[in-house]
Amino acid sequence: MSDVVFQTKGLCKRFPGVMALDDVAMDLKKGSIHALLGENGAGKSTLIKIVTGIHKPDGGTLFLDGAPLVLHGPRDAIAKGIGVVHQERNLIPRFSISENMFLEKLDSHPLKRIDYQELHRQARHWLEMLGLDADPAIPVEKLSVARMQLVEIAKALALKSHVLLLDEPTASLTPHETDNLFAVLNRLRDDGVSMIFVSHKLEEVQEICDRVTVLRDGKNACESQPMEGLGRQDIVKLMIGRSEQIPNWQARDRTGNPPVLELKNITTAIGHRAVDLSVHKGEIVGLYGLVGAGRTELAKSILGKYLVTAGEVLVDQHIAAISNVADAVGRYKIGYVSEDRKTEGLVLMHSVLENVGMTVWQRLAKGVAFLTNRAIRTQTLPFINKLEVKAPSLDQLVGNLSGGNQQKVSVAKWLAAGVKILIVDEPSVGIDIKTKTYLHELIRELSDEGTAILLITSDMPEMITLADRIVVMNDYRVMGELANCREYSAMSQGIMNLIHEAVEVDMSPVQATP
Amino acid sequence: MNSQLANYRESDWFGPLLITVAAIVIVSVFNPEFLSPYNLQILLLAIAVNALIALSQMMIIAIGQMNLSVGAIGGLAAISFGGMMEVWLIPWPVAALLALGIGLFAGIANGVLVAWTGISAFVITLASLSIFKGINLGITEAQPFYKIPEIVKLLGNETFLGPLPWLILPTVVVAVGLWYLLSFLPLGRFILAVGGNAHSAELSGISVAKTVVAAHAISGLLAAMAGIMLVGRLQLGQPTIGDDWLILSFAAPVIGGAVLTGGKVSVAGTLLGVTIVVIINQVLVLFNIDPFLVQVVLGGLILWAVGVNRWREVRAQKTEKRLAA
Amino acid sequence: MNNTTKAADRTADAFGPDVQETSSQHPAMRLLLTNEFGLIALILVFAVLFTLLNPGFVSKFSLFAMGRTAAVNIMIGFSMMVVIITGGLNLSVGSIGVCAAMAAGWLMQSLGLPWYLSLVGGLGVGGALGALNGIVIVRSGLHSFIITLASMSIFFGVMIFLTHAGSFREIAPEVVAPGRMKFFGVISPLLLITFVVAGLLSVLFRFTATGRQMLAVGASPQAAELSGIRVQRMTVWCHALSGVLAGVAGLMLVSRTGAAIPSMAGQLGQDWLLPAFLGPVLGGTLLTGGRASVLGTLLGAFLVTMLTTGLLLLQIAAFWVQTYLGLLLLVAVLMDLLRRSYLARKKLV
Repeated sequence: MSDVVFQTKGLCKRFPGVMALDDVAMDLKKGSIHALLGENGAGKSTLIKIVTGIHKPDGGTLFLDGAPLVLHGPRDAIAKGIGVVHQERNLIPRFSISENMFLEKLDSHPLKRIDYQELHRQARHWLEMLGLDADPAIPVEKLSVARMQLVEIAKALALKSHVLLLDEPTASLTPHETDNLFAVLNRLRDDGVSMIFVSHKLEEVQEICDRVTVLRDGKNACESQPMEGLGRQDIVKLMIGRSEQIPNWQARDRTGNPPVLELKNITTAIGHRAVDLSVHKGEIVGLYGLVGAGRTELAKSILGKYLVTAGEVLVDQHIAAISNVADAVGRYKIGYVSEDRKTEGLVLMHSVLENVGMTVWQRLAKGVAFLTNRAIRTQTLPFINKLEVKAPSLDQLVGNLSGGNQQKVSVAKWLAAGVKILIVDEPSVGIDIKTKTYLHELIRELSDEGTAILLITSDMPEMITLADRIVVMNDYRVMGELANCREYSAMSQGIMNLIHEAVEVDMSPVQATP
Repeated sequence: MNSQLANYRESDWFGPLLITVAAIVIVSVFNPEFLSPYNLQILLLAIAVNALIALSQMMIIAIGQMNLSVGAIGGLAAISFGGMMEVWLIPWPVAALLALGIGLFAGIANGVLVAWTGISAFVITLASLSIFKGINLGITEAQPFYKIPEIVKLLGNETFLGPLPWLILPTVVVAVGLWYLLSFLPLGRFILAVGGNAHSAELSGISVAKTVVAAHAISGLLAAMAGIMLVGRLQLGQPTIGDDWLILSFAAPVIGGAVLTGGKVSVAGTLLGVTIVVIINQVLVLFNIDPFLVQVVLGGLILWAVGVNRWREVRAQKTEKRLAA
Repeated sequence: MNNTTKAADRTADAFGPDVQETSSQHPAMRLLLTNEFGLIALILVFAVLFTLLNPGFVSKFSLFAMGRTAAVNIMIGFSMMVVIITGGLNLSVGSIGVCAAMAAGWLMQSLGLPWYLSLVGGLGVGGALGALNGIVIVRSGLHSFIITLASMSIFFGVMIFLTHAGSFREIAPEVVAPGRMKFFGVISPLLLITFVVAGLLSVLFRFTATGRQMLAVGASPQAAELSGIRVQRMTVWCHALSGVLAGVAGLMLVSRTGAAIPSMAGQLGQDWLLPAFLGPVLGGTLLTGGRASVLGTLLGAFLVTMLTTGLLLLQIAAFWVQTYLGLLLLVAVLMDLLRRSYLARKKLV
């Protein structure tokens, strides 16, 4: 037991309407890289926030070197030896590498001259250890993303961190840079550094980690198991659970219906290449892919937020000229339920009625001279009721509602708008099981009524529950498509194969050109 | 050698320096009077005072905020300086120190309110602008203090070496001091760190609140200094001192490459910015052009400078994306 | 009709039993804690105080003069408010106001246009300058602070250059009359114009799609854009509207003084800045955008005018008025901070 550096026991965290963490345990050994896995909404990010001192747990304890640890904020966590390399860069862009690393230590006296030579000398020591060949005097903004990341690791190490938490460190790295990073991490592990490695990419986790903790629905799906003996399929199974959640709905084939939305060989300004896609009347097409595959970006390109530079977008079999989102919504009746409902989906400081009404104001104002609350209410209330939005009144600010109710509001707004095409992006992130089931039934019902739905989700059971066809994307390209036979293991296997092929295709040219 | 040149070209002061040199050459070709010792003296006097005003604002831009009360602090310090000498007969060096203290205190008050309440610096300094200006008018009842000691008038206008006026000395000291502070001292680095990324500065153990107060304190001190120097220059304690500083105080740092979101300022760039503004002023006078066009040119310069900065930013982002891809 | 009733019934069903998100609802308490109520209370307290100290405060002339000054201050406050709701600022309100007034004066005096066309021309200039601000802001992606700081200088400089800093004094009697007229001996027509504008603004933000879209854009540009609202267009419109309202304020001053004078808003129009922010900020308009209170701005600007008039009348603080206004702004934002944190804690909002 003595080689356990960091441990959590019985961690609980409750948010309004959701139990984000329920009795979660993990332990981190000295000289080990420990994978922390889980789908979106599994509680992974809540656990990270507790470990880094942003959230306080409602129950349970953290232990560092066997002693209980109470963290008072992120600063305290760092001071107590928990180093973090966040997804977003936490460096001061115009400062030099060494200054970023030792900002902490400059505090001795505000008016004592900084000895840059000494700082550079100390920084060089750590940079050499990480194999980062860079002059410590150059500003970090001149570095590539991969190198900035190494600087952050160096910074954490220089601060004598006991535990190093790496949150999606490879998200923006090329395969070659990833290999470099892994070589560094392996070396650190051999030197006795303990790391928690958070990633969506299972290949990487299997390659580098020696133990693994998986979260599902806020609970341990497995606790600190050795990676050895766990296959890729086993991990996927742990992450997404069994197929029993899938309701026994009829498989449907709607490809006979006329297509409502078609993408023909489109290229976008943000990097999509040769994307073909069609959604038919009354059909739900799922768009599956790992984080960073370009699904949300494709949705926003369809909406006209990003430029489509080549190819054709057809709505109702006519070429659609969508130059901005207003066109997409107003003229072509395309709605988008954002994955980021707090900043993109809803206006948190406005009321329920304002939010649901946002999409109908223009239309209502055309008929009547005055846009009254009563008119908006008449127009939107059926949908608010249909979705069973629970709020004390329609004047309640959306920011005060629970996650599930917020999501209902952001869907209700598109029902009120009467869209023909609805793009739904990660509909069940941060909402409770009951609301989730309810939303699934609603989406199915909508499609039965003729709405064409494009569903983006990383939640495999959700995908298999809802989609009629599943299109798999990777690296801003479509890898292939599958008809949903509604059989869990076959489908997840099929999807995984498509993604896996993609990864192999990706890797080969890189290896060819070292 | 080539890369050295490229480095210079990338730096913030290179563009303004080119413009300054070009302006001096062109203007002196058209009007040789421009480089006469007397005109140089006038130019340097204007630069001396305006540089302090610009540096005062620059310190607040460095932390990503704005200070609307620079002029009001300067005005208050100016009339305090004049008043203490005229009414209380305090010797001028003591009066100057006390007036500087008032500026320092005003700056600290701004900083504490911003840091403690979390209300935007814009609103806080708008309120304090009004308070300081009101105290100024309350004390003077809009009448200037006339009895300024001869020595102060002398220091405010005379030269000590060729065309070099006495007033340039404190400005040089301040400019060098600020450059040293922002380049080599932890406090200066903290100010830039807070402006560059307040969140990670906080995570690195920097007290953001203290740093904000320090920046405002320096800003208040420099504004007061400018006000005191103007009393010497104008030879009277005008209550209207500071009324027209706002535009200049933003124009010069921005021309010098300062980024309004904070974290990036340049002392050299700001000084060149001031020089450009002062030269334009002079040119309009020398060529008998409507002096009110100065305002148009100042506004245009601000737009041009922020436009260039913005363009650089967009370009940098594009390069970054290309590197990442 | 039947439909609506049914819908209303269903509201009761859907929202009756499930009061789980908020802990308490005290309608009376909520009213007491609104900004508008606080302002009305303050106005009453100060009105009584000033009257007790100097009964001349409620004389017919004093009330008339106060209303006439308030009319302009409220209009200046509105001009800033419509930009603040987008989350931006407009430092050039004063500059635009003077430009609009000078344009109207020039049309009347130099071109000899009829007074109504001149007024429309003046407002048009105001709107165009405001729109110009808006267009540069959305095109450049820069913050409105720096753009309007520059444009305040440019607009004012160009105006002075064109007019050679001269005034226009041949103002049509139809324009000057409202500035002198009194209804019932106390009410200035200018105040009535302000009330009409306030009414129109209320209608805009409550009963039109455009007004609601402006608020949505201010509260969350991303959410507004993805809901199909044209964010950039709304921003430009807000700035154009700000320009028109600044123009109205400028023309009111012309009506009051009987001349269009370049210095009527001080150097670069800076004298308008404080009243422009005092009204909306006291009135509870969020500087981060997304919420506007027309009534609050009106009351806030009125309170400021009343305090100024009262202090001047008492002759205890003629030169100190500005200090008091600054303190008022400071106290107001601090009180607002306290009120908000109290409401957030009690979940009353």
